[in-house]
Amino acid sequence: MSQESKNPVLGLDVGTSRIVVAERANDDIRYESQLNAFVTLPYSKITEAVLERKKIPHTARMGEIIVHGNESEKFAGLLNAEMRRPMTRGVLDPKEPESLGIVRQMLASMLTGDRNGRKLCYSVPAAPLGAEDSLTYHEATLRQILTDLGYQPTSINEGLAVIYSELESSNYTGIGISCGGGLCNVCLAYLSVPVVSFSIAKAGDYIDASAASVTGERANLIRLAKESSFHFNGAFSDKVHQVISVYYDDMIRSLVSALKDAFARTSHAPAFNRPVPMVLSGGTALPKGFRDRFEKILGEQDFPVKVSEIRLAQNPLCSTAKGALICALSDS
Amino acid sequence: MNTRRFILKAAPAVERHAGRIPDPVKRLRYLRCEMALLQRRAGAARPARYLNWVVIVAAFAVVPGPIPTGTAETFARERELVIPIPDSSSVVPPAAPRVWRVETSNSFELYSNGLRVDLTFAVHNRPRARYPIFPLGGVVAAKYGTAPVGIVYHTTESQLPPFQEDKTRVLKRLGRNLLEMIRREGSYHYLIDRFGRVFRIVDESDAANHAGSSVWADAGGIYVNLNDSFLGVAVEGQTGAVGEVTPAQISAAKVLTEMLRSRYHIAAEDCITHAQVSVNPLNMRIGAHVDWAGKFPFAEVGLPDNYAIPLPSLYAFGFDHDATFLEVTGGRWKGLNLAEERVERQAAAQGLSGVRFKAILRRRYKDIAAALKQQAAQDAAATSVLDTTAAQPPARGKGEE
Repeated sequence: MSQESKNPVLGLDVGTSRIVVAERANDDIRYESQLNAFVTLPYSKITEAVLERKKIPHTARMGEIIVHGNESEKFAGLLNAEMRRPMTRGVLDPKEPESLGIVRQMLASMLTGDRNGRKLCYSVPAAPLGAEDSLTYHEATLRQILTDLGYQPTSINEGLAVIYSELESSNYTGIGISCGGGLCNVCLAYLSVPVVSFSIAKAGDYIDASAASVTGERANLIRLAKESSFHFNGAFSDKVHQVISVYYDDMIRSLVSALKDAFARTSHAPAFNRPVPMVLSGGTALPKGFRDRFEKILGEQDFPVKVSEIRLAQNPLCSTAKGALICALSDS
Repeated sequence: MNTRRFILKAAPAVERHAGRIPDPVKRLRYLRCEMALLQRRAGAARPARYLNWVVIVAAFAVVPGPIPTGTAETFARERELVIPIPDSSSVVPPAAPRVWRVETSNSFELYSNGLRVDLTFAVHNRPRARYPIFPLGGVVAAKYGTAPVGIVYHTTESQLPPFQEDKTRVLKRLGRNLLEMIRREGSYHYLIDRFGRVFRIVDESDAANHAGSSVWADAGGIYVNLNDSFLGVAVEGQTGAVGEVTPAQISAAKVLTEMLRSRYHIAAEDCITHAQVSVNPLNMRIGAHVDWAGKFPFAEVGLPDNYAIPLPSLYAFGFDHDATFLEVTGGRWKGLNLAEERVERQAAAQGLSGVRFKAILRRRYKDIAAALKQQAAQDAAATSVLDTTAAQPPARGKGEE
């Protein structure tokens, strides 16, 4: 990312499946997105030279080359291997020995230019229900990496970032939901102030893994099918799509149930004088018909907060990064 | 006027003004400043980032509900699985008598039921951590505990010379070596040696390394990996030679159990043997450790026959057993049969095959185990960071140089 911007602040969405950087460019916002994944290749000088020539992000070390970011998907396909992920369920994966190094490398390659003291706001997930203390390490580690890179980092809850990105028309009052790879993050805010936030660990990866276990396909291939051709409307042409729809339904039902339970328990929530909007974002919300399906399932429940509309974010893949950028801008 | 009411009264004016600011960033900046100001005006003492009432609300909101995550079945099925099937064979557990400490010194404690605890070998181990309690059918902790909820009985599997008068010196020497080793390893909270003497090893406020991968459940929920949630009591003995356990040891186990049950309000069904709780996640079979796999003298220790309790590792997480385990137990426990029957009934109720149903249960265990491992790794990393920080000398100001 260049830093020829009027406002030298950045928004950063560090998600389980993607890292997105947002930066203001004149009156618009410019995004850069990379898969938060990597594959390892055996080291050879020829391979390294080719990667250098093609400007493919990679790291060579001790007999292997690590290709990370968007290109890792292509290499995983070529090698018929699963991509590895530095994060799981919204946080750094403690079982992945390369997690810290890869995230550091990816951030360093995406956040180029002058960093000296530049303000940056990065997203962190809400605590999963029942595991409220599990985010400290993740948040502190990202802060350390970004500080080492020269930034002045602040963090923002992912669901709140969606609200800052999408709900300016309601004065940042409403419900923001980010359906990502590892988690579904939820936040209810009142005049920009977060009232309730939580996450559940059923999201895109859950759908991929569950469908993969039933169909015998690799999770990578399920994800590709899900992102390229799956939709909720109409009959399913093959078993993979049918299975994906089953687990999508399961995820949506869990999310709606969690929303209902969490909001119903919030006995001290402000008494909204009008219905509040709800916005859906994230890669898992992309398939056609997702919004309708979500609305239908929500309608089956006696939801404790009156909802004026349910809509998809303008750019579901980038709304968290945009919200983080807006937060950073409002801080500056 | 309380903080919340003050804010709710003032907020509409803030909202009206915000609506007149066209630039979204400036509007957000205004709202964040004004809402923070409202809090200060409302007299909140704490310089919080968010409002007090918001924090209160969030505290309510994060109370975990029965929300299913991470399993492969539909939500409706998950909810049905939460409903425990009543076990008609349940026995009414006897109440624990009230026991209190009557005398204490640097070297021993004496209790009202005659229990004498030797403190010579007492040590600190890792402080007891807050442990999660999972709902049946869920993978997200429903609540957390901090006090011991039960007792796991072990055997030391150490060398056992004949219990004879002419072997007294050998018995005492081996017992002492055993105590030294257990203290070094922080293996149990209590050891009962062959003469029936009760030694405290790891302080009750700390966790002992006694249970490893393990599972138990009671009316409160499911406990996974019991080092933090259960106390470990070891009897100097061997699984293959439980006949060698002396009457003095059984008597000591009885009074020690009474004292611990009285002190921590431990239910009788939470006093069980290591063989009943131990699991092997690698092959998904029970009985990774087989201490007291059979013939634990529950009645003599003042407890009901807890071998009759259905094994939670089977009915909650789909673990199996093998022929070797049955060989060690000397026959099938009633609890083993009951757990298997429960799995069959629940699978039938869900319209699933036993194999499919067990696969769901096993996945649930793996989700929980992975989450616990992640938490442990994060705790270890945090501890390491804290240790490193603590080890560094404080930064010196310029004036000190």
